[in-house]
Amino acid sequence: MRNWLRDSMVAGIAVLCVLSLAAAPSVAQVLPYRTPRTADGKPNLSGIWQALNTADWDLQGHAAATGPVASLGAVFAKPPGLGVVEGDEIPYLPAMAAKKKENQANWTKLDPEVKCYLPGVPRATYLPYPFQIVQSQNNVLISYEYAGAVRIINMGAPTKAPADSWMGWSNGHWEGETLVVDVTSQMEDTWFDRSGNFHSDALHVVERYTPRSADTLTYEATIEDPKVFSRPWKISMPLYRRVEKNARLLEYKCPEFAEELLYGPLRKKASN
Amino acid sequence: MHRSLASTIVFAAAIAVPLIAQTSAAGQAQSVAAKAATAKTRPAAKAWAPPLTPDGKPDLQGVWTNNTVTPLERPKGLAGKEFYTEAELKDVQKQERERLAVIEEKGQPPANHSGVEGADADDVHYDFSQFGLDRAQAKLAWNRRTSIIVGTEGTIPPLTPDARKRLAEMRAKAKGHEFDGPENLNLGTRCIARVNVAPLLPSAYNSNLQIVQSPGYVAIETEMIHDVRIIPTDGRAHLPGSIHQWYGDSVGHWEGNTLVIDTTNYTDQNPFKGAQNLHVIERLSRADQDTILYQFTVEDPGMWTKPWSGELPITRISGQIYEYACHEANYGLADTLRGARVAEAEAAKKSVK
Repeated sequence: MRNWLRDSMVAGIAVLCVLSLAAAPSVAQVLPYRTPRTADGKPNLSGIWQALNTADWDLQGHAAATGPVASLGAVFAKPPGLGVVEGDEIPYLPAMAAKKKENQANWTKLDPEVKCYLPGVPRATYLPYPFQIVQSQNNVLISYEYAGAVRIINMGAPTKAPADSWMGWSNGHWEGETLVVDVTSQMEDTWFDRSGNFHSDALHVVERYTPRSADTLTYEATIEDPKVFSRPWKISMPLYRRVEKNARLLEYKCPEFAEELLYGPLRKKASN
Repeated sequence: MHRSLASTIVFAAAIAVPLIAQTSAAGQAQSVAAKAATAKTRPAAKAWAPPLTPDGKPDLQGVWTNNTVTPLERPKGLAGKEFYTEAELKDVQKQERERLAVIEEKGQPPANHSGVEGADADDVHYDFSQFGLDRAQAKLAWNRRTSIIVGTEGTIPPLTPDARKRLAEMRAKAKGHEFDGPENLNLGTRCIARVNVAPLLPSAYNSNLQIVQSPGYVAIETEMIHDVRIIPTDGRAHLPGSIHQWYGDSVGHWEGNTLVIDTTNYTDQNPFKGAQNLHVIERLSRADQDTILYQFTVEDPGMWTKPWSGELPITRISGQIYEYACHEANYGLADTLRGARVAEAEAAKKSVK
């Protein structure tokens, strides 16, 4: 239904018809805006973007809570959030729900973000760091500030992943205003958030980036993993352009920040 | 504008000579060389015009390699000789093929990695060629230079007295503490910085890169530990002096068909040979369909007695960049530290006995 709506817009079918259908509130927001084009006529998504929510703490709705480090008090407590999951439910298979709980209980020990590991998709999008889209004709490069993560989305004929990787294999195409990216072949080691939400190596993510105004995008990701979930589920959130005149991605090479955690016990003991 | 166009022609000609020179040589670079040679048979007056991006800038995009056998500094035996002759280059290429043939059959000479002179080749536990990582197993960007550094000397200029003193102090301080903790290991081992991205120098293997352009930006991703430099070309100023980064801060602009990148704001934590106030200027221009000419100048008045410059071709490769996730499986770092602790414990036991 939604696809049909977008397609009809692209095809330029009578504006009145679209507007009357657009009364449905969930799609009304994406329909009226037509973003500026690149020189080759595609919606221009280039820029520095960032999510402004607490999805990385927990994809689902959550109240504020004590943080993991007592000495950091209110500086690193868990901020509250409405959640970004459609229907607020993540449909774990019964056995997998137990593993999620276990992950959550051992969060700081197990979360790959704590260790500065590459974040995978979709988590890279809503980590609390900006990312930059460099949009070309054949490729769309997305560079993430966190851990220097990067992926290059192939916009040509879809290709198959040569191997599994942390950031996965991305094939993209345009559906009207929307950049649709099909992501496969991700390592099973990444998580979705700091609350232990996880997946297997069967993860399949379809992302949709849709301009909703000059400085905002709607980001949607449909998540499918038959080894972990009973059905596909979806997250969505706005992304905001970093409009500062001097906006830049800076270096966040975090391996050095995780060295004490990972290798501290292997240090030479103070000489006696 | 005229000047830069003229210099582009000169660069193009300079690159064409070595490429033509190797057309008769056997080996993996042959087809590329042949293509380049064909492209260069046109009259020199008609400069090859690089393809443009939809917004009208020279198109540097693609998957490339700067893999080379050319050393950064000129070997002592070649002092004063900046270029090989065509015949000498053929000989270098032959030697490279023979070297690879020997190690593919017998393994790398153990002394190359175990440090044990005369050790049995059976002891080889990690041989680059076994994993397709020897430089000669990948496509090489051949050129006639005897060193990447240009000029009669072809070497990094002498250090200033201050820098000599500082580096000696650093070495003295590090001695005996090489394996104390992660900070004592080199940046590559720590998966922080493994290859020089500015200046962009080849690494021991995986010297591959991909360039993606959008209006106002050129992104250069080096495959080695997935480093991306996103270079704005809109004339903006460098980051404020309060911000220093491992790879500095790169801003660029177009001079005719050449992308000029200026990089400052490096950390003083030794990203490049111990320099503390590094300034790098790079020039990238398309020489032909399959070649980017890469030139750079490095300066740090507190470090070297004069600036120095280098030049090497970057050649097109087929296929894509793979993800080099370094830190995620860095068993080497943990095992190195663990090994040092075991060695210390054993030494302590012995001294008690």
